[in-house]
Amino acid sequence: MHAVGKRRGAIILGLLPALIIYVIFAILPILQSFYYSVMEWDGFSEMTYVGLANFKEIFQDPLFWNSVKNNIFVVLASVFGQVPIALFIALLLNRKLKGLKIFRTIGFLPVVLSTVVISLTWSLIYNSEDGLINGVLRTVGLEGWAQNWLGDTNLAMISVCITVIWQFVGLYLIIFLAALQNIPEEVLEAAKIDGASEWTTTRKIIVPMIWDTVIVAVILCIAGSLKTFDLIYVMTNGGPSHSTEVMALYMFNETFSQLQYGYGSAVSVLIFFFSLILIYLVNKIFGKKMI
Amino acid sequence: MKKLSILLVGIITVLTLAACNGGEGETTSGSDVIELTLWNDWTEDRPENTAYKKMVEKFNDKHDDIEVVIEAIPHDQYETKLRTQAAGNQLPDMFRVWPGARLAPLAKGGATLSLDSIKDNWEGEIPEGIMKDYQYDGVQYAIPGNISETSLIFYHKDMVEAAGFEEFPKTYEELKSLITALNEDGKTPISLGNKAIWPLQSVYISTIADRFTGSDFLPNAISGEASFENEQFINSMKVIEELATMKAFNGDMNTIDEAQARSEFNAGNAAMHFAGSWAIGPVLDSVENVDNIGVAPFPSFEGGDGDPAKIAGVAGGGIALNSDLSKEEQEAALEFLKFFYSDDMYQQLVKANIIVPADVKMGEDIPQVFQEANKLAQGGLAPVYDATLSPELTDIINNGLQAITLGDKTPEEVAKDMQEQAEKEQ
Repeated sequence: MHAVGKRRGAIILGLLPALIIYVIFAILPILQSFYYSVMEWDGFSEMTYVGLANFKEIFQDPLFWNSVKNNIFVVLASVFGQVPIALFIALLLNRKLKGLKIFRTIGFLPVVLSTVVISLTWSLIYNSEDGLINGVLRTVGLEGWAQNWLGDTNLAMISVCITVIWQFVGLYLIIFLAALQNIPEEVLEAAKIDGASEWTTTRKIIVPMIWDTVIVAVILCIAGSLKTFDLIYVMTNGGPSHSTEVMALYMFNETFSQLQYGYGSAVSVLIFFFSLILIYLVNKIFGKKMI
Repeated sequence: MKKLSILLVGIITVLTLAACNGGEGETTSGSDVIELTLWNDWTEDRPENTAYKKMVEKFNDKHDDIEVVIEAIPHDQYETKLRTQAAGNQLPDMFRVWPGARLAPLAKGGATLSLDSIKDNWEGEIPEGIMKDYQYDGVQYAIPGNISETSLIFYHKDMVEAAGFEEFPKTYEELKSLITALNEDGKTPISLGNKAIWPLQSVYISTIADRFTGSDFLPNAISGEASFENEQFINSMKVIEELATMKAFNGDMNTIDEAQARSEFNAGNAAMHFAGSWAIGPVLDSVENVDNIGVAPFPSFEGGDGDPAKIAGVAGGGIALNSDLSKEEQEAALEFLKFFYSDDMYQQLVKANIIVPADVKMGEDIPQVFQEANKLAQGGLAPVYDATLSPELTDIINNGLQAITLGDKTPEEVAKDMQEQAEKEQ
């Protein structure tokens, strides 16, 4: 007992620096946001306490609900875009293939590229006048299909989401590949001996065996989509006419462009709770405590 | 226990070493040279920025005891960064500021230093009417470096001629027929980059609305004496709506920024480009044939109440000082300002095609386009919307005008949104 007690002291001491840094840089700012969220403050002058007035105002602002709607759209597009596509490609790549490494590198490349670079490149691709997509459509005679991809309020969100999906498929691809390669050879051999077709093996053995990884990917995906900001900020700046404005961007604009620090903090508090609720729901649905 | 104490000793050593380092660093920088950081948006390679930077260099060469360090941030991000830092109480020693409503929160929050003590330096040199743009509550916070006319029309003379116009249209009706003629020729009439959503407001509406409502309208609407739902103001936004429906702009106007739109114009892919005096230098620098470029004032609108000789403009190029500077630093910074806003710099700016507030002589070598633009300022300046409106109202009109171009909102709806916000602020 004595020995453990001593060791526990050392463990606590060892954890202390990390804990202090975590509290200062993660917990305190969150608490500070809570504090600012009940204030009216332009960033310079004296703060005044306004209670829940900021929250009341947010709930009445149609632009906030618009940003929530857009954000949910990004979450759905990511979960139902990134994860299935990544899983599909991972299953294809998970065999003895010549040049597997090259495919993996190509798939992973977008993940390591800077988001700003991706955003600018895709903005050029989407440009309605001389962009790549419309250029190709015009060359093959599908003139009528050419669109104002980022400049049309109905299309802008879809266009942005395609870029988001493209950017992160590689990440989940690598995660799934790693999981697939951990499936013991014997299990697959046994299935083969039993005469299971490749489709059956995939459906009944491989996918169930990596299911936990899939759930983790879904949760990562949701958390990532909720705080999506930089890509949209560079590509469309939330426009045209608020059609691609997500919660983080709404918060940013209210806080820094309109100098309402209290109001902006209240929005970030809402984003915080929104994320908690969504992730709780996912955990509930899959019936497992993953995070 | 022994391990524990080794660990403790280790931590303490590291901490003391770190502390020592910090202490040493401070003593060296706090010695005889006063270092002043200056934030600005002089990132683009254009003559005015070079002139500014040259002035800073000259100042540093002349002063052994003061060192001005430049930190440049791209224009579209500059104000965001400044406001963020201001909120965190981490402003640099000196920083570029915009006048009017954009200076107000900084001045109101006590973040900037009063310059009243050195104001006399420019008496008789810069007209009081222009100095006033950088005042808040009667206190001077920066010295104007230039005048920014926000509404000029640049055009390719040959393209306008080819469309059947001997001279540039003087009225809106004529402008519309020019646009139709260009469209029929398959040319883009006006190159616009409104992704950052301010050009339609700052460049277009500031002058168009003034033509319709007159210059008293904007201050009156803010104070509550007039309403944004005024018919003339709505008429001005209808101009934007009409231009968008008649396809006066390039199709990607909402997805490219102002600089991209300007290079499209420079490359001859559009006949006109509406921009402010900030574009004079970049346009003259990059077009193939300078003589082919014309500059015109905005056309007059039938039935408008405003003075058609005016264009929107405001003082610019001011540098504000951090109110937290020590006595020594303040003196150094004030000396810098006196040096910076001197005849020497205004001369250089004129050569760089920048319109300046001070009365300077112009040589023969100054290009035609610049002289014409300079003349336009003499007709009087109308208020620029985003230099006068609160950030919230600016946001509403910026987004509103974009929505109008997309057909998502009507001018009446935008006017109503603005009036509601204005009433909240009164």
